[in-house]
Amino acid sequence: MAGLGSECSRRLAGCVSLLLLVFVAVIVSASPDAATGANETLRHPSGHSLDDSHDHPRNSSEHRKAFPVLAFNYEHVSKPFVISLWILLALLMKLGFHIIPRVSHIVPESCLLIFVGLLVGGVIKAMDQTPPVLDTKLFFLYLLPPIILDAGYFLPIRPFTENMGTILVFAVVGTLWNAFFIGGMMFAVCQIEAARVGHVDLLSCLLFGSIISAVDPVAVLAVFEEIHINELLHILVFGESLLNDAVTVVLYHLFEEFAHEGTVTVGDALLGVVSFFVVSVGGVMVGVIYGVLGAFTSRFTSHSRVIEPLFVFLYSYMAYLSAEVFHLSGIMSLIACGVIMRPYVEANISHKSYTTIKYFLKMWSSVSETLIFIFLGVSTVEGPHNWNWIFVIFTLILCLLSRVLGVVGLTFIINKFRIIKLTKKDQFIVAYGGLRGAIAFSLGFLLTDTEKKDMFLTAIITVIFFTVFVQGMTIRPLVELLAVKKKKESKASINEEIHTQFLDHLLTGIEDICGHYGHHHWKDKLNRFNRTYVKKWLIAGDRSSEPQLISFYNKMEMKEAMMLVESGSAAKLPSLASAASLQNAQQRAPPKQRAIPSISKTREQEIRKILRANLQKTRQRLRSYSRHDLFSDPFEDSMSEIRFRKQRVQMERRMSHYLTVPANRQETPSARKVWFEPEHKVYTYDESESPRDGAALETLPDTVSLLSESPQRPGQSSRLRKRGDAEQSANAPDSQEEPQKLSRCFSDPGPKEEEEEGEG
Amino acid sequence: MSVQMKQRGSGGGASKSRDLLQVTAQRSRQDSPPPPAGQPLPPLSVRAGEDNLRGGGGGRMGSGSSSLKHIPDGQQLMEETGFSAAHLLRLHERFDFLDKDGRGHLRPEDFEEIRELTENPIGGRIIAAFFPPEKERLDFPSFVRILAHFRPIGKNRSRDRAQPEQANSRTGKLKFAFELYDQDRDGKISREELLQVLRAMLGLQVTEEQLRSIAERAVQEADIDGDGAISFDEFKKSLEKVDMEHKMNIRFLK
Repeated sequence: MAGLGSECSRRLAGCVSLLLLVFVAVIVSASPDAATGANETLRHPSGHSLDDSHDHPRNSSEHRKAFPVLAFNYEHVSKPFVISLWILLALLMKLGFHIIPRVSHIVPESCLLIFVGLLVGGVIKAMDQTPPVLDTKLFFLYLLPPIILDAGYFLPIRPFTENMGTILVFAVVGTLWNAFFIGGMMFAVCQIEAARVGHVDLLSCLLFGSIISAVDPVAVLAVFEEIHINELLHILVFGESLLNDAVTVVLYHLFEEFAHEGTVTVGDALLGVVSFFVVSVGGVMVGVIYGVLGAFTSRFTSHSRVIEPLFVFLYSYMAYLSAEVFHLSGIMSLIACGVIMRPYVEANISHKSYTTIKYFLKMWSSVSETLIFIFLGVSTVEGPHNWNWIFVIFTLILCLLSRVLGVVGLTFIINKFRIIKLTKKDQFIVAYGGLRGAIAFSLGFLLTDTEKKDMFLTAIITVIFFTVFVQGMTIRPLVELLAVKKKKESKASINEEIHTQFLDHLLTGIEDICGHYGHHHWKDKLNRFNRTYVKKWLIAGDRSSEPQLISFYNKMEMKEAMMLVESGSAAKLPSLASAASLQNAQQRAPPKQRAIPSISKTREQEIRKILRANLQKTRQRLRSYSRHDLFSDPFEDSMSEIRFRKQRVQMERRMSHYLTVPANRQETPSARKVWFEPEHKVYTYDESESPRDGAALETLPDTVSLLSESPQRPGQSSRLRKRGDAEQSANAPDSQEEPQKLSRCFSDPGPKEEEEEGEG
Repeated sequence: MSVQMKQRGSGGGASKSRDLLQVTAQRSRQDSPPPPAGQPLPPLSVRAGEDNLRGGGGGRMGSGSSSLKHIPDGQQLMEETGFSAAHLLRLHERFDFLDKDGRGHLRPEDFEEIRELTENPIGGRIIAAFFPPEKERLDFPSFVRILAHFRPIGKNRSRDRAQPEQANSRTGKLKFAFELYDQDRDGKISREELLQVLRAMLGLQVTEEQLRSIAERAVQEADIDGDGAISFDEFKKSLEKVDMEHKMNIRFLK
């Protein structure tokens, strides 16, 4: 009963909130009228006062009105107010859908949002107001870039480059085929007497075809994200939707230019082809330039971490805008910028900035997507329509037909070149996933010829609605029905990473033996170039020489440390460590019993006391207050807590081992990788107060000087290593190094080394 | 990719000779002798199907059976490894190119002359994989047999599955990779062996401790029976999510 009650109350709450919001939106649209009305009345008194301004000081005593305690002046906040309210409405809608769970399972979010847009538009229209329309400028300059940037920044590179050929073929050839097929056939259809659209000429039809032929990234993202399809199909459809922008841009401009002229010569067609290459390659180049600039800038941001995410966003946005200036493909430029920038920026920025970038991008793209769909609904209600049965129906049929034919035909050709062939199921999903969306609508909106524009717009909207509603809703059950492979949720495994890299090297080697300059050969060359030149310029400090495997490993370790903190086992660490490996504490039973040499109790106490005393001193944080500093949150505190505990344990073990085992160890020295995290501004280790336990005092000056050589560079670290060699003959230098070694990765190498050497 | 395209373009006319080869291959299948002993690789069973001879569509460069004459045991090699005649020819050309002194077999020094191979971090291992432990000579059939591991899996998967010991099946490929790790051939990848590989791949840029911790972690992740080393089954399991059949391919060898 209680469960039912809560269900009902939730549903009720959802419906009530929906109604409330619709109501609010209506009021907002109605209020501009009230505001303008108020403005007018305000103007008249001011007009009067201007006339008799000379008399005003004299009259002021007579016409003095009371000091307004509360005034209503909506006018000067109206614009931001309306915008904020719309965004709020959109987001509350999004919230509301998840309160009503059953519906959101069946209907994808995009459909629901369009539906809401229709409702709102309808209500507004019923009150004889003019609802805001999906303005082309608004769409292309403000709503589209966040979505594309989000997609481009987090684009999975490996599958994308592996399938690049296929994606390009689908994007370029497929879109061209679609455009010409639909355009041509529509022209034929228009010749039918019964349609009464004989006035539409071939060029206009081709223009219409080019608008409607492009698969839309926003719609594809919105629908495919919910069905979790396997990576290959996802990247195929999505990559196609991104890369066909260049084709769309060229075709659109080409046909629009010549729709006025009326004829197209062969020369123009050739120029069109050239223009295609210029648009696409130019767009990519602009993106690459801005990407490199962004990466270079991020190299110097170590002192102002707070503004790091802004650089990423702004450089990307500038790339988009710059490309749009020259009528190049803005989408491709944005993607190129994100892809180029990402590896270097991620190596340079702090972890927090990375999280910020990720969440801001997701947030913006989410808002944009929601707004786009709602506006689409509103514009549908608003827009001038010219419903022509034959035109619309045929458009719909031809769209589907051309998509299917295109995909099947192209796959037949592509499969000859692919190792992983695309099966019939894959082809079906690719064809079915060709959704049209808001880009087509906005391009249609840009048309200037009013007579055919309405008819075109109506047809475009119908196709969009059909693809989003019908195809969007049915794709999920179809995926289940056809048992298409879903995305595998796999945990990152260091084994896979190692073996994948190993395989890369192996295949490159085999290719060299066969004398074949294939895929791997060029990839290897690119990696080499990247490593030797590019990384040095674009990545700050020591990390420029950090191989990919190491950064992967670091990330894994960091993730695990965080998981440990969250699961609350931080407190148990020191005792746990003696029983099992620190790294896999939660995952598996201790692989084997590590025999820690036992020492007398009193000795142990002594050691612990000394260690504790020293470690606590190192926690003095020098912090100056500044608005631009990021305050440490408890989470970060516990992370450094973990680090301290780990080091303490390591030190304890080393000390105990040292005290019981003869000190003639041949231990390979470690290069001290000291990484000062600037945001902590901490770690002022007082070298002078390291354990004076009779152990290596003489090594102290060495270690101090080692520390002072902190600007890290590979040459230096190897130099450090050599020095470490020199002082090997002394006692255990490692116990001194432990507190000073702040390696960025939570490596726990010490105990195992010793135990292996102790046992073996 | 462009090399491949050119091959596709030239010569579709070899199909007839291909069919001839298929027929002769089928007939000679029954009395083909088993592969010579002494190979470090697992024994290859003779193929039952001719699907691999078809391979992908497109052109087969070069002529048919006539040029196979100067490749000894050409037919038998084709069946065993599944390469087509054109591929065998190309491999033979490459073999001749590498064999600068025209001796008819290759030695490790010939491989070391390939410049890119010396820059490859695991170049030495790859070369060593071609040569069995006691022999210093590599003849053409062995050369081809090893390269057969990198052939993409043919169209008719069902027949491939019937022969799991195929050189280019998933198991075959995994076994080859495993043996590259496992230098002492004890059937397990120990921590030390993994460490050597990591050292080779990551070089001087990384500290020894980091290498050790990575090796340690890798072994711990993969080790199921707790013996501190990765056996072949554990190796297979840790790579089950990696699409080996499609990764470990050279397109050229299709």
